[in-house]
Order: sequence, then structure tokens, then C-alpha cells
Amino acid sequence: MRNTSSTLKPNRNHPLPYLLILPTLIFVALFTAWPTLLSIYQSFFRQRLNIARFRQPTFIGLENYTSLFTDDRFHQVVKNTLIYALGTVPISIVLGFLFALLVNRKLRGIGWARLAFFHPALLPMVSAATVWKFFFTPDYGLFNSTIRFLGYNGAENWTGNPGLALLAIMLVAMWKNAGYYMLFYLAGLQNLPTDVYEAAALDGANGWQSLWRITFPLLRRTTVFISTIAFIDAFRTVDHIFVLTSGGPSRASTVLLYYLWQLRFENQNIGLAAALTVLFVAVLLIFTITNFVISEREGA
Amino acid sequence: MRIGKKFSIIAILGLLLVLVLSACQQTAAPATEAPPAQPTAAAAQPTEPPPAPTAEPVTIQVYYPVAVDAPIADILKGYADKFHAENPNITVEPVFSGGYGDVQTAIQTIIDGGGEPPALGVMLATSLYDLVNADAIAPLDDYINGMDNGKAYMDDFVPAFMENSKYDGKTWSIPFQRSAVVMYYNKDMFKQAGLDAPDSWQAWADAAQKLTVKNGDTTNWGLQFPSGWPYWLFQPLAIGNGQNIFNNDCQVAFNDPKVVEAVQFYIDLSHKYEAMPKGVQAVWPSAPTDFASGATAMIVHSSGSLNGILEQANFDVGVMPYPGKEAGTFASVPGGGNFYILKGAPQEKRDAAWKFIEFVTQPEFVADYSIATGYIPNRQSAFDTDAMKAYLEKTPQMMDAFNALQYAGAELSLQDLGEVRSIFHDYLQKAYNDEMSAQDAMDAAQKDAEAAMKPFCE
Repeated sequence: MRNTSSTLKPNRNHPLPYLLILPTLIFVALFTAWPTLLSIYQSFFRQRLNIARFRQPTFIGLENYTSLFTDDRFHQVVKNTLIYALGTVPISIVLGFLFALLVNRKLRGIGWARLAFFHPALLPMVSAATVWKFFFTPDYGLFNSTIRFLGYNGAENWTGNPGLALLAIMLVAMWKNAGYYMLFYLAGLQNLPTDVYEAAALDGANGWQSLWRITFPLLRRTTVFISTIAFIDAFRTVDHIFVLTSGGPSRASTVLLYYLWQLRFENQNIGLAAALTVLFVAVLLIFTITNFVISEREGA
Repeated sequence: MRIGKKFSIIAILGLLLVLVLSACQQTAAPATEAPPAQPTAAAAQPTEPPPAPTAEPVTIQVYYPVAVDAPIADILKGYADKFHAENPNITVEPVFSGGYGDVQTAIQTIIDGGGEPPALGVMLATSLYDLVNADAIAPLDDYINGMDNGKAYMDDFVPAFMENSKYDGKTWSIPFQRSAVVMYYNKDMFKQAGLDAPDSWQAWADAAQKLTVKNGDTTNWGLQFPSGWPYWLFQPLAIGNGQNIFNNDCQVAFNDPKVVEAVQFYIDLSHKYEAMPKGVQAVWPSAPTDFASGATAMIVHSSGSLNGILEQANFDVGVMPYPGKEAGTFASVPGGGNFYILKGAPQEKRDAAWKFIEFVTQPEFVADYSIATGYIPNRQSAFDTDAMKAYLEKTPQMMDAFNALQYAGAELSLQDLGEVRSIFHDYLQKAYNDEMSAQDAMDAAQKDAEAAMKPFCE
């Protein structure tokens, strides 16, 4: 007892714990904290690398933020991003869960089924998007042939139609992510205690009841974790947009990170890009913290 | 216990020290990288006559993109080795850096971070204004004037490829891997339908209409016109109507009546003639394959796709500029990348970079690069080489692509290129997709582009 309390008691004179986290701390400070602080600082300045007289930064207060908020393009991009995130995140999580239920059984060849669901997660996004580019080919592409086979008349121009382009890149993201999330659910399912189910069966619970009342609540932590990484993923994946639509047609599939890339590297507008970065980081931080606070409060 | 703890602290401190040192070493590396190259140079020296005695050994890097389906890395390495054999004190290291945009981003990032950029970069010819404004590149006039035959050297470059090299009375880049927009047509299909190569918009639309074949659920279109990233392939439509989409680096001509008419012609091809798919066609990668397999009779595309098409097609492939609006007029626009010398590199490296430029723009190398990659030879004298003559014998289409350049206008290159190009894309695609009329879309594009360029041009 004495022994335990002495090891648990924090001792300020011991540098070892701090030294142990020091390498991580250095990396986080260097590659996360410092760039974030730099962006906050830069967002108050006008700096454009491709205009000679604006190459040196000048302080302009909140002007970058006001010009963002009054920019129609920014509004459209925010709208696109919300549709993208709110569409892809829940659907790919539900799909991942269903896949996991499907392959969480002992059958011959189940490994192949798992591989089939999981393999999109292994492909680099650019290769996956290149394959999908051909699936989406107008007229004879696999996607159009399939929906035609299913009885839908007419071939859709998936990546050229402003009403469908965003949906097209969302489909690719869901296809790619569902298998990845399946992996976490599968791990969660396999760690579930079997006695609870046996007890439930004895009490006469049917499959649906034990799924809804036992499996789902027990996997809540997994769900919180997945929804956090899924949400962050939805904000930071843009590779497929470069390949499939270049954010077009007419910006219909431009999301925040793509727009950020355009501002920084095409328009070379450092100040505006920094302001957008700050907003971006703020939204992700708020979401992540809220998500974890809620999950901690509900406890487990 | 205490000893163990002390030991682990020392071990961690040691590890950190190693980390920090290795980080330092990495930043210092470029300065100390020359020695590894020396052994070969030293080994070669005894047998060869001593090189120019004044020069210290230098190593320069060339950042380059790969934008075509060709073994660019191997080709450039070969040129660098040959150059090193002739100039033993200069080592050239080609550095693959992604696409064109990535090269510019990489170089820009080095400069922003206060580092030393590579001496030489292959970047888009159209990046001129951004690079000059960012103070990233050095003018080349002193080098050109220092040559024995500087004027003759420059005059030998194909004029269309020099359109985006001059600004502020200076020359900033030398053409390297250049292409052009052309129209590919299936000569066999044309012959069967009793059609001649089109020489006007009307003849073009009629031919496309006639060659469009409904085929059950799918259609073999007369024409495919990729427009997922549309300005480049659109430009020859406007030029063929007598008005480019911009007049100078501070003036766009998006809503010029002739440009609006060109937008309308694109729309008419699908709506009025039903000769190509409606709306934006995001088919850049699939169009050459469709053409080569006979699924479409004509496509507009980069001349860089010629080799791939010729490999796959089992019919007579025709290559020509776009027909212009009036009978007998034609149009094209160049594309591709130039050599830029980066200002932030030290003098001796910049001098070495210029030597390498001179070396690889010799006619034999220009011809060799063209044959190996499908890029259009950028110097007229390259056509006098035996290799090029033999190649043209086999591939007369390369000559047709080159000839299209005499009808070329300048590729869109102006102040604030990235932003203005996005604006143009947005509204052009709105017109293509019937979200706005051609006139309204181009008026809006003009207005937005003028507003965006204001801080650059006032």
C-alpha cells in the first residue's frame, strides 16, 4: 500500500516523465503549435507574394476575415464542405458498422470478405480517384452502365454536372472510408464479452434487441473515436477532388481545404489563406473537444 | 535504481542530441554535398585534358515536373551525364518534383523559408508574372548578350514558344518542353463519310454532326471537347474568331463579343448540332483513348498525346489546328514548360545553370527530347537534324502539330494568373452547363477578373 501511493504521487523533482514526453512535445510544438500561431499572426496582415508591393506584410487588422465573410465563393465553399461532411461521415460510419457485423463471424473465406471491404482503405486516394474517374466516364463508364442495368434510363455526366459533382466525390470518400471504419468496429466487436449475450439470450432477447441494447451501447466509445477521425478526415481529404473535378464545375465541388490550397498556392494570398486556416483549425478544435467532453461526461 | 534512472536520462538526452544534430546536418547538407561527386571527377581527370582552370566544381539542381507519359527522369539523367562529361567541373542533379504546380510550390516554399533555391527550374511558361513579382527568377539577357551569337540563338526558337518569355523589356525563360493544342481527326472516318478536313466553324460542326452515331444506349460522338479545366482548350476557339481572351498582362477580354461568340459556338456544338455531349466534359484522360478506339471521330487535346494515340490507333490519324470561324482560318495555342534560373542561387550556380540550358537546347538535344517525349521541337534548327528528319518520315503528324503553331495566339498568362484563371473557369463552365447565358457569364467573368487584378495593375 505504502509502495503504491509513493509511486502514484507526482513528484516535481523527477525530470524523467517530462524528458520522456519531450520528443513528442518538440514535434507538436514545431509542427502543430508553431504553424498555428504563425497562421493566427499572419491572418492580421496583408501579404501577397505575387504583388511586388504587397510582398512585405502590412498590418490590416481583421480585413482578411471580413473579406472572407463577405465573399460569395467562401459561402459556397462552406456550404459544400458542410454537405460533404454531414453526408459522408454518418453514412460511412453506418456502412462501416454494417460491414463489421457482416464479417464478424466464423465462416470459410470470411477473410476474403474482410479484405474486400477493407482494400479501398489501403489504396492511396489518388490511385482510387483515378480508378473512379474511369468509373464516372460519361456515357459508357462502369457507374453509368450499372445504373442503366438497374433500370435507370440515361447516362449522367457525374463529374461535369454541377448538381452531381459533389455527390461524385462524396461517393468515392464513402467507398474508401467505410472499410477503414469497419476495421475499428470489427476490433471493438471482437473484444465484446460473450457472457452478456448469453445472459440476454437466456432472458429471451432477440437478435435485434441484443444488437440495439448491448452491441451498440458497448461500442459507443468506438463510435465516438470513429466519428472524430471521420469528421477530421472529411475536412482534410482533397486528393480525390484534384483528380476528379478540380473543384469544378464552377466551384460546385470545391471544399474548404481545396479553396485554402487555391488561396495559398494559386493566388499566393498569404494573409487570406492564414485567416481561412485559423477558422478551419478553430472549427476542428471545437468539434473534437465537444465530442470528447460529451463522451467523457457520459462516462464508460 | 538511481543509477538506472540517471542512465536513462543520459540516454534520452543523448538521443535528443542526435536528433538535433541530424536536423542541423540536413539543413547544412546542400553546402557539403559536392564531395561525393568528386571521386568520379577525380578518376576521370588523369585521362582527360584538364578542364577550364578557373572554375571550382559546382553542383546544381534542376527541379522538373513530369507531365507526359514518357521516361523524363531517365532522359534528363542522360543529358546531365553527357553535360558532365563535357563540363567535368559541373554536376547537374535533376530533381523530380511532381507536377508543374508542385515544382513551383516547392521552389516558392524554399524561397519563403529563406533557403537556397535550386539554380534551375522547369516551370510553366505562363507562370512568368507570378515568378517575376515574387522576385524568384533572374533575367537572362546578360547571358544571351554574352553569347557569340545570342541573337541568332534566340531567333531560332519557335516564335509561338517565346510569347510568354518577355516582360518588362527582359527575357526571363527559355522554352524547354513545349506542346500545342491541336484537333485530332479520324481520317478513315472522314474519307468514308466523304468529308474533307474542316476549314471553318461551320464545316467543323457539320462534320461532327455527320460523324455522330447513336449506338443503342451510348453514342459515338463526332467530337469530344474536354472542359473539366477549360481555359486552355477553349482559347483556340476565341483565337479562331480573331480575339484572344486577354490583351496584355493587365487586360482580359472575356466579354469581347468575339469571345462570347466562341463560348456560344461550344454550346451550339452540343445544343444545336448535337455533335458532342452537353455541358462540361470532364474527359481529359479518357478522350485520347476514346479517339484511338474509334469511339469518337474527333477530339481536341494536347499535342503531347500524339505518341499515345498513334500507338493505339489502327487508322490514319489526322492532326490539325482548330478551324477558325471564317473559312480558311485556323487557331491553336501553345503550352508547356520553360527553363527559369532562380535568383536566390549563387552566381556560379546560375552561370552553370545557363550553360546547361545552352547545352540541352542544342538542335540534336531538342530533336532527341522531342522524339523521346512527344513534345514539339522548340527550335527550328532541330528540324535540320537527321534524327528529326527520320522521325518525321515515320510520324508526319508531328510536323502537322508544329505547323499548327503558326496560327497560335499566346497562352493565358497575366498578373494574378491563378485567381483570374479560376474566375474564368467558373463562369465559362456556368455557360457550358446552361447555368448562365454566354453573354452574362462572360460579363460576370470580366467584372470579377478586373476587380481581382486591380491591386496588381493600378
